[in-house]
Amino acid sequence: MKGKLKKIYKNPMFFIFIIILIFYAPLAIYSPGESRNRGVVTAVGIDKLGDEYEISLLTFIPTINQSFEEQKSIISGKGESVAQAVYRAQIAMGRKVGLFHAKTTIVNEELLQEDVTQHLDYLSRVASLPENTVFVATNKTAKELLSLSQISKSNTGLKLEQIVGFNAENLYVTDTSLEAFYEGYYSDVKSSIIGYLCVEEEGSSNVFASVEKASMSEDRGSDMSQEGGGQQSGKKKESLINCGKSILLKDGKMAEILDVDMLNAVNLLNTKSLNQIIRIKDVEKNGQILNLDYKVLDKQVIKTSKFENGYPVFVAKVNLGINLVEVEGAKEDVKFNTELSDINKEIENKLNNQIKGNFSKAIDMLKKNNADVLEINREFFTNNRGEYLNFIHANGGAENFLRHVTFKLIVSVEPD
Amino acid sequence: MTKYISARQAGIIAFLCILANKFLLLPSYMFKDNKSDSIFVMILLFALDFAMLPILLKLKKEFPEEKLFDILSKKITKPVTILFYMIFGVYFLFKTLIIVDVVYVYLKQQVYQEDFLAIAIMSIIPVVSHAAVKGIKTISRTAEFFLLLVIIGFVTCLGFSLFTTLNMPVLFTTPAKVFFSSIYKYTFSFGDFLVLYLIIDKIKIKKGEEKKLYKFSLSAMVLILSLFVLYYAKYEVTSFMHNDALSDILVFSVRFNAIGRLDIISMLTIMFIALFEVEIFCFAFCDCVENVFPLLSKPFIVAIFDISSLLCYFILIQKYERIVSLFSSWLSYVGIFINYVFPIICLTIALIAYFSRKKYEKLVDGGEK
Amino acid sequence: MSYFNVEKKVDEIKLTLNESSDFAYRFFDRNNQKIAFVYLKSIIDNTLLSESIYSPFQLFEGKFSIENIQNKIIKCADVKVIDEDQAIDELLDGKVILFTNFSSKVIAVDILSFPERVPSEPPTSPVLQGPREGFVEDIQTNVTLIRRRLKTPNLVMKTLKIGEESNTKVIVSYLKNIANKKIVERVLKNLSKIKTDGIIDSYYVLSFLEEHPDSMFKQIGNAEKPDIVVSKMLEGKVAILVDNSPIVLTVPFVIIEDMQNSNDYYTNHHYSSFIRLIRLLGLFVAVIAPGFYLSLQIFHYNILPLNFLITIADTTQGLPFTPFLEILFIFLLFQILYEVSLRLPSYLGLATSVVGALILGDTGVKAGLISPPGVIIVALSKIALYTIPEQASQITLLQIIFLVIGGSLGLAGIVGGMVYFINYMNTLDSYETPYLAPYSPRIEKDLKDGLLTSSVTEMNERPESFSPKIKERNHD
Repeated sequence: MKGKLKKIYKNPMFFIFIIILIFYAPLAIYSPGESRNRGVVTAVGIDKLGDEYEISLLTFIPTINQSFEEQKSIISGKGESVAQAVYRAQIAMGRKVGLFHAKTTIVNEELLQEDVTQHLDYLSRVASLPENTVFVATNKTAKELLSLSQISKSNTGLKLEQIVGFNAENLYVTDTSLEAFYEGYYSDVKSSIIGYLCVEEEGSSNVFASVEKASMSEDRGSDMSQEGGGQQSGKKKESLINCGKSILLKDGKMAEILDVDMLNAVNLLNTKSLNQIIRIKDVEKNGQILNLDYKVLDKQVIKTSKFENGYPVFVAKVNLGINLVEVEGAKEDVKFNTELSDINKEIENKLNNQIKGNFSKAIDMLKKNNADVLEINREFFTNNRGEYLNFIHANGGAENFLRHVTFKLIVSVEPD
Repeated sequence: MTKYISARQAGIIAFLCILANKFLLLPSYMFKDNKSDSIFVMILLFALDFAMLPILLKLKKEFPEEKLFDILSKKITKPVTILFYMIFGVYFLFKTLIIVDVVYVYLKQQVYQEDFLAIAIMSIIPVVSHAAVKGIKTISRTAEFFLLLVIIGFVTCLGFSLFTTLNMPVLFTTPAKVFFSSIYKYTFSFGDFLVLYLIIDKIKIKKGEEKKLYKFSLSAMVLILSLFVLYYAKYEVTSFMHNDALSDILVFSVRFNAIGRLDIISMLTIMFIALFEVEIFCFAFCDCVENVFPLLSKPFIVAIFDISSLLCYFILIQKYERIVSLFSSWLSYVGIFINYVFPIICLTIALIAYFSRKKYEKLVDGGEK
Repeated sequence: MSYFNVEKKVDEIKLTLNESSDFAYRFFDRNNQKIAFVYLKSIIDNTLLSESIYSPFQLFEGKFSIENIQNKIIKCADVKVIDEDQAIDELLDGKVILFTNFSSKVIAVDILSFPERVPSEPPTSPVLQGPREGFVEDIQTNVTLIRRRLKTPNLVMKTLKIGEESNTKVIVSYLKNIANKKIVERVLKNLSKIKTDGIIDSYYVLSFLEEHPDSMFKQIGNAEKPDIVVSKMLEGKVAILVDNSPIVLTVPFVIIEDMQNSNDYYTNHHYSSFIRLIRLLGLFVAVIAPGFYLSLQIFHYNILPLNFLITIADTTQGLPFTPFLEILFIFLLFQILYEVSLRLPSYLGLATSVVGALILGDTGVKAGLISPPGVIIVALSKIALYTIPEQASQITLLQIIFLVIGGSLGLAGIVGGMVYFINYMNTLDSYETPYLAPYSPRIEKDLKDGLLTSSVTEMNERPESFSPKIKERNHD
């Protein structure tokens, strides 16, 4: 026994294990597990309400014998700064805030009136809010949107994450994460686009689409009382609408709200952006006056940047593969008249004008805001570096460059 | 049971040394000065670093069985050698501290979410000390055992990052002056072949096995350069926000979120590489002290390493900002010495030995004739 | 002309053996020529005794002499003339000893017989296809089983007797043209150093053969089937057979051996590779899973994907134990059930599994004492442990160590622990062989029989790890 002890005594690793057992294992024995100490936040809302900031955390707090949805609640805290608001929310929660699983960050329009990065600073630098969370804005408060997103879930099966996921893939096409916002913000042109979700009163003229369900009102009543925020009784019913809008940010501030058509126009040069309908009116074909809807199925873009007479010229050749999807005003079925699908000169001209008109509006809007979300600067920097650098040096820096660029758009369409 | 390590094992040690202190903070830190041109700075520094390898092999050829300490003592006197070894000791100690600190901060933010100093000390020191006492053979064998895991982890991180949106980094924007001053500024992160110089007598290189050393070293450099390229392709302007390069390039692989958090791959890879690196540097530090003070026993020297590293950590470093400033301050002089002065001295010694050998052989041949 | 007193000699032996109840003798007296037959009736063949020894004596009509008895009278193969002081040892070895009053020499006739087991398939290493013979307790049968498979003059069988009281026969067997001389010498040296009263089983010898006796890791190979032992001997290993033990030891030992199974060589090698990878996964899961799960729960909730986190958080709510105690509780419960199932007769086995799995497990979860993920993780690791049953005891210890480390230090501790144990295993070189070969150090040629196996046709070289004298298997 003594010999054995001596052998063990001689082995320093045994000592280490004993130290672990004595000093560390009690920690393990008493430690209740992280999930009991932390509220797992899946979405963060930041609102500016006058001089105060309100943080709303869609939090999952495990409770016995409750379903997943029942265990989710919105916990909010107010303060003079975001850090203070989070601190207060944490006190209200009674647990440490864990932002690691946050998938969405929502801010209200008021917060976007000033440079939003200063309000995100605490969350992303200290509180470890992941940069891959989707970053969206809303017209009402983020808290309201979070509450409504829970109702939407129970009524239509739409989750907030699903909406933003759908938008990111089909509508915005570009990445609208927090990281993408920062990339734009810290670039030379300091501009980026983020998503926008609407909270609208039912029947509002702003709503271009809505989702209805029979038991909506009943469900909402119960949900809201549990969440204890968002709506007051007697107020007109509101719902979360995927209005398809997005926000153009310049210097971290809101510059413009882009509707679906404007967004599509901005995305004209983005080959991934296909999911759009182009409508042309009053086309004469086979002796009939028709309204035609075309769907873009394929897109090829060739970009060229050059300097002509010392001025930047950006030429984009866009080749669209389109398909006729709806005919209005035809006397016979389109199926039996394949000629209707042909694209004649008139149609081509009309489509051309329509696309160019929309793009021109988009460019004007971007020029007005000095917001180069099309990465025109980068294009010139890469291809015409010397001239570009001289030009921006002489003409007020990279930020103003877009204003001086002449755009030439060449569109060709063909049936796909 | 042989006391030597194979050329492959030596290659693996070089591989790990090259990877270790460049895969977290460095891409972000270098961006501040050189923007995406850091890639070229890396290529240049790697090229300079790589020159140490043929010099090592030349030295090994001229002095096949001799310890570096003995070679230097004979050629440049013992006191100078002792001074050299003391500089080496400082180099290894601080390099260890920098790796530990960078990885500690990463783990604190991503894995533990709070300070876990007591846990880190308990997880690192016993393992590292045990390995250092057991010697380079044990360390190199263990590194060999985990090599595949480390490579798979690293390549997986790089591979998954391809599934995110990547932009071609904007290159050639840094002025030449800034570019070349980086050679001085970041030199402390290089000089990774020094460990092999210290264990030159313990490496057994059979004929034709030199290429294994080159192969592993080049692979590590390619991996690091790929990391730099992918990192800048992903982040570029926001790279100042992303201090954990290897982990951060994984974060946006949204497509794979269905299987959950992929960061675990980078976490494990980072932990393994860092731990091996600290083991190697701890051994190298002990080797330096052992040569300067030959009467001290190995466990005693390891204890010195443990205590001095803890003291240095608490007194000098601890804060992230401080480590970053240390990086490019006086430690750069140590880096310059290790990277440029020391290899030149070794090359000179090797060449003198080579020519005197040739001369002797000529004389012998002449005599025989 | 009587010179010697045989009665006195018999009495002396009787006293030496403490008048043992199985001690028997018989005198034969003719023309003043007296012969005493002394034997232990428990270990001899009675039929042989009467037919080959007594009967010929009665029928013989000439004068008895030692030469006559040895060459003409006794009809047994193994008859030898020995000195009187060797009589006791031979008697205990199952021989009939003949004392005569006309010679100082003694005759020993081997008619050893005792109840023995027929070679059958050992329960620990069954095969789907392949030889089903297993070693038995009788060393002679075991030698036969090996000899039958190695009909070569190069097969060496060196016999030693170990144990002051047990006098156990230990045979060191190897192929002299293949096995490394240094290894053989080291084995013989270690065996000769054994000072003990008895060798009850080969495990007793194993403990003395280990070059790192304080280590918790297995360092000596063992096999219960002659085909395995022979294949190991062909690789250059040395086999140690111990009387009264069906387990044959082999040295040197590398850890990959336990990943290899005789089934692997009797099926398609692609499938064998897959199965070996599964075993590796099993080993990994068995050692790490409980500790890793615990570290996730206590330290790293953020690493868990949200859906897993929710499931775990949901099911662990309201448990009276902390995660560490919960896992420890389930772990000990499984260990107790395992011990019980080993000891209980098989007809009670069903009852224990019902009590263990259904009542304790299911009711424990329903009662809110333990959580389903906890049970799954521990059960998974316990099942995974038996992908390599030979390593079960070591893995169980490692499970506990990693449980404590994972719970107290988290992921950093687990990684540190893994590196430490591999470091440690790398220091366990014994009999000139690296413990983790062929992976650490990497031995390219030996990888053919590593985790990914090649076909037998490609394995034309013996593993370098064991430094065999002849490297090629197809040598002339």
